Amino acid sequence: MSELRYVRPARVRPLPEGAVPVVRLKEVTKRFGKVVANNAITLDIHSGRIKALLGENGAGKSTLMSMLAGRYKPDSGTMEVDGRPVRFESSKDAIAAGIGMVYQNFMLVDSMTVAENVLLGQEGGFFINPGEMEARVDALATEYGLAVDVSARISDLSMGERQLVEILKLLYRKSRILIFDEPTAVLTPEETNRLFEALWRMTEQGKSVIFISHKLEEVIALADEIAILRRGRIEGELDPTAIESKAELASRMVGKEVLLEVDRQPVEVGEPVLEIKGMTGLGLTDVNLEVRQGEIVAVVGVAGNGQKELVEAVTGLVKPPVDTVFIMGQPWRKFFAESTWNRSMCYIPEDRLGLATMRNQNLVDNLLLTTRKGFARGMWLDKRRAERDTEELIRKYDIRPGRIHALAWQLSGGNLQKAVLARELYRQPRFIVAEQPTQGLDVSATEEVWRRLLDARAMAGVLLVTGDLGEALQLADRIAVMYRGRILGMLPTSEAETASRIGPLMAGVLD
Amino acid sequence: MLMWEFIIPLMAAAVQSGTPILYATLGEMMTEKGGVLNLGVEGIMAVAALAAFVTSFATGSPWLAFLAGGTAGLAFASLHAFVCITCLGNQVVSGLALTILGLGVSTFLGVPYVGLAAPGFDPFAFPLLSSIPVLGDIFFRQDMLVYISFVIPFFFWFFFRRTSLGLHVAATGEMPAAAAAAGLKPVALRYFAVLTGGFLIGLGGAYLSLAYTHLWTNGLSGGRGWIAVALVIFAFWRPGRAVIGAYLFGGVMAFQLRLQAMGTHIPSSLLLMLPYLLTILVLILSAWRGRRIDAPAALGTNIEPEA
Repeated sequence: MSELRYVRPARVRPLPEGAVPVVRLKEVTKRFGKVVANNAITLDIHSGRIKALLGENGAGKSTLMSMLAGRYKPDSGTMEVDGRPVRFESSKDAIAAGIGMVYQNFMLVDSMTVAENVLLGQEGGFFINPGEMEARVDALATEYGLAVDVSARISDLSMGERQLVEILKLLYRKSRILIFDEPTAVLTPEETNRLFEALWRMTEQGKSVIFISHKLEEVIALADEIAILRRGRIEGELDPTAIESKAELASRMVGKEVLLEVDRQPVEVGEPVLEIKGMTGLGLTDVNLEVRQGEIVAVVGVAGNGQKELVEAVTGLVKPPVDTVFIMGQPWRKFFAESTWNRSMCYIPEDRLGLATMRNQNLVDNLLLTTRKGFARGMWLDKRRAERDTEELIRKYDIRPGRIHALAWQLSGGNLQKAVLARELYRQPRFIVAEQPTQGLDVSATEEVWRRLLDARAMAGVLLVTGDLGEALQLADRIAVMYRGRILGMLPTSEAETASRIGPLMAGVLD
Repeated sequence: MLMWEFIIPLMAAAVQSGTPILYATLGEMMTEKGGVLNLGVEGIMAVAALAAFVTSFATGSPWLAFLAGGTAGLAFASLHAFVCITCLGNQVVSGLALTILGLGVSTFLGVPYVGLAAPGFDPFAFPLLSSIPVLGDIFFRQDMLVYISFVIPFFFWFFFRRTSLGLHVAATGEMPAAAAAAGLKPVALRYFAVLTGGFLIGLGGAYLSLAYTHLWTNGLSGGRGWIAVALVIFAFWRPGRAVIGAYLFGGVMAFQLRLQAMGTHIPSSLLLMLPYLLTILVLILSAWRGRRIDAPAALGTNIEPEA
């Protein structure tokens, strides 16, 4: 367990004898139609402790907590707060009972200040005074040691700071039980550390924290207790200090022995599909990179060190300097002028529901988004054939729900990513740019994406931009480490010391 | 010489003809602050102008008529509110329909009144303030409704900066989901914004038939509603800039009237285009300065009920 990035201040916080839980869920069941999202769940929450709810996407974590937060009503079972049974009609009731939830997408007004957001609806009078409001929120932030500029506008804040604002909102409403739904998904490692410190501090002041996650490492580092949810049931509750390995925890979460390691057989390397020669500009400095067919080249680094600029220049989103980017042997401009829909380049963007798909369109139209030339007959689109092919892809990639008329936003993150992957591989690309392809996905979806990318090497070269070192080490043949717009090192994964060399390079340390 | 005979009277006229635009701009700004785009300003002004005129004609009370104009604006805007907020209709379509309907209704119902006069508001020298040199002549030899319009921007500013209701309305225009999560009622707040905005737009319409002229003629609104819609963008949703914009347009309108009266050789139809040419220029300028981001983030989008 020595490789953990996050270190808790106190390793063990034993539960005192005879402690009375603040929240008690008894046999709580929730169904959506025929699907049982939560099946007779019994769970205790204690004050001053962090309870992690660990489970794959769709295991029922968010549903369970949404009931506690008053968004849904349970079909059967009881919820008790301070020993008294409660029934929440709305999230207002839950807030009144001291339960608050921080959702994945923040509920903040961008153009307003931190103080205005925290006090929205709680101003305490018809006339307001910005100075007094800021003083009030500042006092609260100081009390809990949360460093945030209360007069700043939300739009000027980082994701981590915005999360602090959400926490302040809950604290101002005197929430005693704070629920966090995948809070680290949008945070940098540094911000994650700061969030964890804030959470610990809050529990020391007697608050209860419920932390929903599927990131094993974070759960082990943060939680006092871990409850594993699988297919709507509690699979087990365990003490984080008693966990032998991440693999053990992962297997209990997924239910089968998942190998977080994939078998990567080398593939014969062919022609170069991407060449970047001495590119300087767009925030990049003297970048040289080559990707050949049959290999995966990973680009890693702390977010914001030029990866985004590199991807944009390669995928045609911005124009790179002349004669620096060559795709399949052709200069950038010529390649994009003559580019065809298939046997060419494809891009799997990080932003699945914005850049990769149209949120309010169905799977067929989303398939056509990049493949329509393959379904065109003159100026007409062969929609019927597109529907047939979509059905086939849904079967082949096991995309759920398995309806071609499902809209993009209705799909879970993992299924949406599978749909994007299915579409892009349908184009039989010779060059794939994959950006954070498994971010936010559960273990089995990650495994599936990894396998597909490895299989794609038979026809293509892959440029993999990732923030997940494990992913880079598992998939890539070579790893480029970016730091401040430069590639500081190009490391072959076949060498044993590569893993230990990446960290210092990411921090800009050259031996 | 030129100063006293041309420029100062022109600027005073600019204030007068800018006043209905100012009322309407502030009304549209209020509506948009709540997140609703109302393109029916032109129609609301026309209906309100007629309502005010008829009330004044029938009762002889200009004050009652002024309020009637505002109320008619509110009532007409409530149609838009119902379509967009309750029925989740398209805001652009509903607004355009309101304009066409309003212009048609006011022309049709106004037929018996064409050419008639009714009591209204006349300019008077405001005590003390009118004796300030230059400024007194421009701003304080106007009618009562102009004086009222001077204080509304301050109220507007105060409402959004210093009252919780104003904060709630603005939150609804920026992110209704966040407002709802904070326990507010975004639907009610949007109704408030659209109805209050409609009332202000109605006051602008009433000004046309009660102070700008004391007569009823067809097409009294004369495109001022559209100018108000554009001015909200020009003003970056700030009341202070709305004042500048309204008087600027009032000035152009007054200037082209004067040029025509002086008998220039420029064809009058070209002069009549001046305000709209300025509208386009103003929109290009504000787009060029890239300040579209000041628009309420949820402007033009409906509040979908939670799935």
